[in-house]
Amino acid sequence: MIATTKKPYTEVLEALAGYRRLGLVGCDGCAKVCLTGGSDEVAAMAQDLKAQGKDIVFEATPERTCNVAKANPVLEPLKEKIKEADALLVLGCGGAVQITRLLTEEYGLTLPVKTGLNSVGHMDTVIPGKVALEQCQECGDCVLNDTGGICPVTKCAKGLLNGPCGGSENGKCEAAPDRDCAWILIFHRLTALGEVDRLRQFVAAKDHRKAAKPRTLYIQEGRVA
Amino acid sequence: MKLTELFGKKEFVITSEVGPVKGCCRNGHSLPAFVREAQSLKKFVYAVNVTDNQGAVMRLGSLAAAVMLKQNGIEPIYQLTCRDRNRLALQSDLLSACSLGIDNVLLLTGDHLNLGDHPSAKGVFDLDSVQLLSLARDLNRGYDMMGHELTQPADLTLGAVVNPNFQPLDLQLLKMEKKIAQGAQFFQTQAVYDPKVFETFVRRTEGFGVPIQWGVVLIKSPKMARYMNERLAGITVPEAIIREMESTTPEGWRDQAVAITARLLKEMGPMAQGVHFMPLGWSDLIPSILERFPGR
Repeated sequence: MIATTKKPYTEVLEALAGYRRLGLVGCDGCAKVCLTGGSDEVAAMAQDLKAQGKDIVFEATPERTCNVAKANPVLEPLKEKIKEADALLVLGCGGAVQITRLLTEEYGLTLPVKTGLNSVGHMDTVIPGKVALEQCQECGDCVLNDTGGICPVTKCAKGLLNGPCGGSENGKCEAAPDRDCAWILIFHRLTALGEVDRLRQFVAAKDHRKAAKPRTLYIQEGRVA
Repeated sequence: MKLTELFGKKEFVITSEVGPVKGCCRNGHSLPAFVREAQSLKKFVYAVNVTDNQGAVMRLGSLAAAVMLKQNGIEPIYQLTCRDRNRLALQSDLLSACSLGIDNVLLLTGDHLNLGDHPSAKGVFDLDSVQLLSLARDLNRGYDMMGHELTQPADLTLGAVVNPNFQPLDLQLLKMEKKIAQGAQFFQTQAVYDPKVFETFVRRTEGFGVPIQWGVVLIKSPKMARYMNERLAGITVPEAIIREMESTTPEGWRDQAVAITARLLKEMGPMAQGVHFMPLGWSDLIPSILERFPGR
């Protein structure tokens, strides 16, 4: 999922200064899992904004706001409501905000689309409702086949590809002593699998073109450009 | 002068280290402190490392500082890390170093930004230290890392680092072997205070065929030793050494540092092909330490 956190409320109010009538758009996908933008959080935000003297012209929470196939069927019927709004506030990831903006443009509407959240990474839920971990950087050239299913690009603070730096102590990372050194985890995992010799191979420098922003995925061809 | 020539002659290679100033060195009336510190060691060491934004603290660039040492008759070992430069900058800086008369480089990953004075900076780490060694060797062969021919090859002796304290040691040695395969010609170790740890390391690396300098940071106070144990990545100062420092008053710490370092040198020096001192400003103690080392 794309993990999100709530922006400080004062920052949200600042972004909405001068706009009285607001439409609220949440996301019942990732933002719901992060307790930042599901229908419950949208309702709570509506209450808070009303208390600040704002008019809430509609609340909508598509199942996946980042996907036009899910967002459009929810937002298109609200076109007239969107027209009434001075601005939209999206409680979703950066993708959800931009898909909402894109759809308003397609509806021929020009209005500000603001966000109430910060996107903080591609993360995986390990303790539901409590903890999600960043484990993948979408580098475009996955190395997990050679690293025992543990990603050094993401889980090593320096993204090293040929083994650990010298800074680990007691198995922990020099950059964050409460975190395990990814290369020690990889070493133990490959040792357990009897595949530690994989680490003897020199890994050449990454081709960063594969992660050059902004990427476009052509789904039918499976092509990224 | 290349360090490999000294190792080739079976010299016991003694080097030290200085950190560039945090500021400019232009139109100065006197030489900057790090140059004077290095000058004071001229008769005692073969070469002096110049650290590269050590501990991720922003300072005068290590290339400018290394060139200043060279201009003042001291052989520099130019340290270059992957933290602050992408592959273009790394190659370009190595060509610059060679063009400015640098003979020896030490190629490292670099401390993480969290440890330094600009923790909000973006860490580059485009390459790791093994890949950096590989491209430096390419430059020596007359090509950049993409295989494009250079008008003139570089001519640099390539040094690398290894941490014998690292657990599991097998994993650290795997990386050391990769560094050798990609062109490392000598190694300086992280500071090691436990002769048993160093002995184990030496026994495991005997067959690697590359010279190794035992590394040591001068312990300046009990507080510093504790700080190193708590905060400095990859170094362990044994409790017995901390107690030795505590057994004397602050006025006695310099003498104690000499006694401890000289003893460690006697114990671990003979196992290595050289020693690398990291005096952290106490360079003036190095002559006294070496005086007590008959193996020199």
